[in-house]
Amino acid sequence: MTQDYEVEFVERSDREARFLVRGISPAFANGIRRAMIADVPTFSVDTVRVIENSSVMFDEQIGLRLGLVPLTTDLDDFEVGDEVTLSIDVSGPETAYSGDLVSSDSLVGPADDNIPIIDLKDGQRLEVEADAVLDRGREHAKHQGGVAVGYRHLQRVEVVGDKGEFEDDETHILRGVIEEQAAEHVDGDADDGDLVLTEEFDSDLTKRYPGKELEVHDVENAFVFHAETDGSLSVEELTLRAVDSIRSRADELRDAVQL
Amino acid sequence: MDLRVIEKEETMLSIEIAGEDHTFMNVLKGALLETDGVTAATYDMNPEQSGGQTDPVLTVKTDVDVNALDALEAGADRVMEKADDFDAAFDAAA
Amino acid sequence: MMVPVRCFTCGNVVAEHWEEFKARTREAEEPEDPEKVLDELGVERHCCRRMLVSHKDLVDIVAPYQ
Repeated sequence: MTQDYEVEFVERSDREARFLVRGISPAFANGIRRAMIADVPTFSVDTVRVIENSSVMFDEQIGLRLGLVPLTTDLDDFEVGDEVTLSIDVSGPETAYSGDLVSSDSLVGPADDNIPIIDLKDGQRLEVEADAVLDRGREHAKHQGGVAVGYRHLQRVEVVGDKGEFEDDETHILRGVIEEQAAEHVDGDADDGDLVLTEEFDSDLTKRYPGKELEVHDVENAFVFHAETDGSLSVEELTLRAVDSIRSRADELRDAVQL
Repeated sequence: MDLRVIEKEETMLSIEIAGEDHTFMNVLKGALLETDGVTAATYDMNPEQSGGQTDPVLTVKTDVDVNALDALEAGADRVMEKADDFDAAFDAAA
Repeated sequence: MMVPVRCFTCGNVVAEHWEEFKARTREAEEPEDPEKVLDELGVERHCCRRMLVSHKDLVDIVAPYQ
């Protein structure tokens, strides 16, 4: 029996995407979500060798800040545990930025260049060698590639009638994505089957279907994922790697059972 | 992945799967419940603080004509199939 | 002291927006509304927004006491 999944992007950019998956069970959706957060590895500074630090912050604080800087990660060429060395050398008066990190490997480097590490005053200097290691989010949150990864049911709004003449104009707030089912009641352009972000009508259903009595239903086995990354990977890469990590564990289990 | 069989009968299997967490176990359980011949599938995991075992224990029960170990293998196959199909659908959209 | 690199709650990188945020809302001759600046910077969630809104650089203050 094959699964009939259907994926459709609602929104997508470099670091953020919203996509609908139809035909997916809640268990599998949650597995993917959890794997995106905790199981897809990314590079992050883990050990620092301080050569000179005369800034106002302690070595440990500098180390922590460096650890939180997202580093671009190419998962085809590295495996968990691999290390890459980066160095930073800045003399005051100047601010040391993540962009001042010099990597020994062109594949691994800061994903954002303008994260302030430390403000250096006249005569202060920061020189550090840092080892970045590839590891998973479950080891330390700094290795999490996904930020605020979550999903919601796709929702269907049903117009069941008109609102009573003297009823209060209360707002009907709904967030997520709806699948248009009552296009004839919408002012303006709409077709049945359209995927509509609730932000488009200010997340208030009374603005889209004025004066109507509504019922909202979840669409079964249809989930809208919302994922952002910290810049170390693209959302597509993050999702596929998450699925792959589940697959490889199933593969491992099957091999173990067969023995 | 270290497996430790806790109890095994023809149609019932209780097995500890070391090093796994809810991420995989719940997907596996879900897949097992969709597999033909499986009558019950569940897993149990105690949080570290409770002093119990921390590795998940999977329990599968099957119909009389199905071997529980074979069912587990079929469940793992099904997870892989799901992953492959998701990959294909995602690639088609991306 | 320095801006937190990431949002404590969700892990989004917020420090990259700090300097622009500071320049536009606190150091400009005509300070802009922080709400508008955060919207434009793409800092959407209120957990990330409070990281910037409630921050104060202290390096200049502690530097003389090294």
